[in-house]
Amino acid sequence: MSEIRVGVFVCHCGTNIGGVVDIPTVVEYTRMLPNVAHAEDNLYSCSEEGLSSLKQSIHEHHLNRVIVASCTPRTHEPLFKDACEEAGLNRYLFEFVNIREHCSWIHSRVGEEATEKAKRLIRMGVAKACLLEPQEEAESRVIPAVLVIGGGVAGMTAALNLARQGFQVHLVEKEAQLGGRLLRINRLCPTDEKAFDLIGPIVQEVEEHEQIILHLSATVSEASGYVGNFQITVAADDGERLFDVGTIVVATGADVLQPVGMYGYGQFPNVLTQLELEDRLKTEPPVIEGAVLINCAGSRIPERPYCSRVCCMTSLKNATQLKKLNPDAHIYVLHRDLLTYGVEFERYYRKAMKDGVRFLRYDLEHPPQVVGDGRVESVVVWDALRGRELHLPVDLVVLTTPLVPNSDYETISRLFKVPLGESGFFLEAHVKLRPVEFATDGVYVCGTARWPANVSESISQAYAASSKASIPMRAGMVTAEAITAFSDPVLCTGCGTCVITCPYNAIELQTLEDGRRVAQVNMVQCKGCGSCVAACPNGAMQQRGFTDQQILRMLEVCASG
Amino acid sequence: MDQAVLVIGAGIAGIQTSIDLAQMGFQVYLVERTPSIGGRMAQLDKTFPTNDCAICILAPKMIECARHENVHLLTYSEILSTEGQIGNFHVRVRKKPRYVDIERCTGCSECVEKCPRRVPDEFNVELSRRRAIYLPFPQAVPRVMTIDADYCLYLTDLEKDRCRLCEDVCQAGAIDWEQQEEILELNVGAIIVATGFDPYDVSKLGEYGFNSIPNVITSLQYERLISASGPTSGELKRQSDGEHPHTIAFIQCVGSRDVNYNPFCSSVCCMFATKEAILANEHNPELKSYIFYTDLRAGGKRFQEYITRAREDYQVTYIRGRPGTIGEDPDTGNPIVRYEDTITRLVQEMEVDLVVLCQALVPRHGSETLAEGLGVRMDEHGFVVIPERLSKPVDTSVPGIFACGYCQSPQDIPDSVTQASGVAARVAELLLRV
Amino acid sequence: MDDQIFHPRIIAFCCNWCSYAGADLAGVSRLQIPPDFHVIRVMCSARVAPEWVIKALSNGIDGVMVLGCHIGDCHYIDGNHRTAKRFALLRGMLDYVGINSDRLLVDWISASEGSKFQRLVTEFVERVRELGPVDDKPNVR
Repeated sequence: MSEIRVGVFVCHCGTNIGGVVDIPTVVEYTRMLPNVAHAEDNLYSCSEEGLSSLKQSIHEHHLNRVIVASCTPRTHEPLFKDACEEAGLNRYLFEFVNIREHCSWIHSRVGEEATEKAKRLIRMGVAKACLLEPQEEAESRVIPAVLVIGGGVAGMTAALNLARQGFQVHLVEKEAQLGGRLLRINRLCPTDEKAFDLIGPIVQEVEEHEQIILHLSATVSEASGYVGNFQITVAADDGERLFDVGTIVVATGADVLQPVGMYGYGQFPNVLTQLELEDRLKTEPPVIEGAVLINCAGSRIPERPYCSRVCCMTSLKNATQLKKLNPDAHIYVLHRDLLTYGVEFERYYRKAMKDGVRFLRYDLEHPPQVVGDGRVESVVVWDALRGRELHLPVDLVVLTTPLVPNSDYETISRLFKVPLGESGFFLEAHVKLRPVEFATDGVYVCGTARWPANVSESISQAYAASSKASIPMRAGMVTAEAITAFSDPVLCTGCGTCVITCPYNAIELQTLEDGRRVAQVNMVQCKGCGSCVAACPNGAMQQRGFTDQQILRMLEVCASG
Repeated sequence: MDQAVLVIGAGIAGIQTSIDLAQMGFQVYLVERTPSIGGRMAQLDKTFPTNDCAICILAPKMIECARHENVHLLTYSEILSTEGQIGNFHVRVRKKPRYVDIERCTGCSECVEKCPRRVPDEFNVELSRRRAIYLPFPQAVPRVMTIDADYCLYLTDLEKDRCRLCEDVCQAGAIDWEQQEEILELNVGAIIVATGFDPYDVSKLGEYGFNSIPNVITSLQYERLISASGPTSGELKRQSDGEHPHTIAFIQCVGSRDVNYNPFCSSVCCMFATKEAILANEHNPELKSYIFYTDLRAGGKRFQEYITRAREDYQVTYIRGRPGTIGEDPDTGNPIVRYEDTITRLVQEMEVDLVVLCQALVPRHGSETLAEGLGVRMDEHGFVVIPERLSKPVDTSVPGIFACGYCQSPQDIPDSVTQASGVAARVAELLLRV
Repeated sequence: MDDQIFHPRIIAFCCNWCSYAGADLAGVSRLQIPPDFHVIRVMCSARVAPEWVIKALSNGIDGVMVLGCHIGDCHYIDGNHRTAKRFALLRGMLDYVGINSDRLLVDWISASEGSKFQRLVTEFVERVRELGPVDDKPNVR
């Protein structure tokens, strides 16, 4: 192995470092360290001059490891790594030492100690740099095709967007026709447009688009692979269909809770869910004298604590419809907080009040009671705001029930190794900043499968998922920063601890020729956290750029000098 | 030739849409009016419902955005004019002079320490002061200084030549008094509006005493007080006497859901009030909070559970009622909240140590002018109109111009981020087929 | 520098996303901290192997800090959960082999908690200073 020649560049950062740390002494000290072939100081290492000097020195002194001792790697590390690369040095042979944020700025009154510490930090950095190896970033091809699971409004939106972008789309739908839940909906809020006017044209476009391959009455039965290269098996009426895709969008929708045993549902014929009312409004609109719509039926209760987001507006919309059918009818919406957020929903609520829909607040301690013989004739409700009991005569009781996870989720979760959250809906990578991505690369989620969402929100999410899916497909390639883990097959005993530890499912046990099972890290899925390395019981697993050897050497150096 | 797009506004929505578009292969011009990208999220301490540190999750996105070779940051800049149509917009952008050479400035901040001029700090909602030469916040991107020409002693009176200390101390030679504004002409295929929100001016609601009662503050001010990098390093102290509050009243819907001010619901306040109350109790487990609400809006993922936790674990009490007035005990400075509890139907008075007004959030000032210039329809509140709200949730009234985030409808961070990515997909399907 | 005062040698493992950034913020805010500690950056606190801590404390490092993101905030989802579990175990082991487990500190620092970083390090340095050099203790093998 050729000689290690380390170059160290110590930055003054104006007077930020130079005003506290005795830089000339540090440079002198550094020159004496083993393997240091060159050391210099710069006023600003990150400036044009500093970078040129760096590159020049790499050539002049035949440096094969570089250290910059200056500020925090969190801002300038990529800049210096780029400079090394431009000078022909592998970017992973670079190490950053922080002597500003972690030294001169916090020890500004004790210059001598700060100088000693700077020397020691640099010595630790040099020790690590000597043990760095050149690395190549792992690349993996991405097939420009996507699997969309679910042919409702979210799935179809994602499918169409990706098809229009030019990718091939496999759209799998378990029913015999496209359209999802919206096929049963009458009108949509807040525009009151007909659901069919929205979904009809989308279905047609999907059916006609040449980039979209439809699999109706079909489900995904098997899946393997990883981002860029998934192998999919679909079970359809005519047998199995196999194809490969680069990315996957999960848009399997949600079910509506059947309020069995609540408020006389199933017992009285005139107690319906909102969804059943939608059916009626489309086919045989009921003209009634009095109706009570009970919100939060089966949600925001201890067994199901979440708020299903879309139901208040559904209830308001249908209350408004019933009022339109008979302006003299007494329509009451019983609620426990009204979720009419934003501009348009709040406006719709005000209009509903003006149109004569009445709103009554109830609470869990005094739930409404349905009263009747053979049919519900009235609803007794404790009006919390006025402090009195009301008897409301009704022809119709409508229960506003929440969206709930559907039975497909468990299968999808298992097939693609994507998690479900506490409420049973799919769990995204990060609830704030990565709402439509899974932690598993290449798989995305949108629509009510992720969480109750209205049409507008589902479509936004579908577009977002398409955007995310299109990025690796456009690039044709995914690369991973080479700080990934790797396992030594000689030391590995196949215990599988790493497999369980990895949050990204990036490790698998594979069988070698000699029959032994050993861990294999997928370098493209590995995110470089190093958790598996610390978990490995016999040191078979290491992390590039953060090996045990490198860290232990730094500890030795720190203790000794 | 690469397709280019213009993004107006570099808060979390603008940043996300820029990242997506850049990764797809578009050249992105990201124009931001203030000196740094980051927007409102940088001012928050933590975000609901996970209580993630806001800047911790935002800063990596800011760096990712700024570093991408396809993103061209135009900070401290504004849109002058727009012409054309989808596929071919011609935009003129004015880069305001910072009087600092961004190629030379290394962000070392030595100049800031020397600058003698102290001015109200808008990042800290005027709870503290900054200098005339400044970095808006520690994690600012780009990490370069800006000289505020309205306050700089030298620039406001060139003849007197009163001060050029920053120039003297700058070893990189980055101060450039000759710097002029630059007008850039850009050709882009699509424009994305992501201009976000401003807090509503609650001094209009005289009955709540903002600006007259010192211990009545706004929620954004509260965020800065409780933030570890804020004016009090995260110590929750009353502005009047520096005491730690033991009781806090949060008033919801201040200027929202009110036909006298803003009839709409700002969507996020029930949740951020809950968060702020939880954080207060984390700072001081003895602290009790009272949230005065009308409808508790918690329809997002894990939001309802967050509220339950606040009630059960963090001494937060929810009272249904909108207070009529807030008075003050002249001896202690304690605000006194007068309200009707609509559940018990009793009129009450509650004395607390601190009142936080959860003010309405309204579209940014200046957005009407911007919209006019773009030819995009706004509604009466200043929100960008989305004509086909259901089927095209991010399309404005002008083909090729899109809008995401709060500027088009009140929404939280996940929804803004979703719309931001959604816009990228819309632009891609129209302009960049593979 | 007063030669009579013992200056401990301390290592602080900081995770790239939270605690390292918190330490940076302490720097940016110019919060003054005793110079006896040295940061080693890792991507996640879950990378920190218990063996490192044992080796360090057996070879002249007087105190070790392991600082990660707050629970729930881990950039790698659940790394810090593992850190918490591993080091709870290690604490017991340290005492068993005769190393005072007070020489190990595991805590969480977010990127905005510069002052917490200052406080934690300052207090830890003092604590280790009182414990004395790790080599001195006769029952350390």
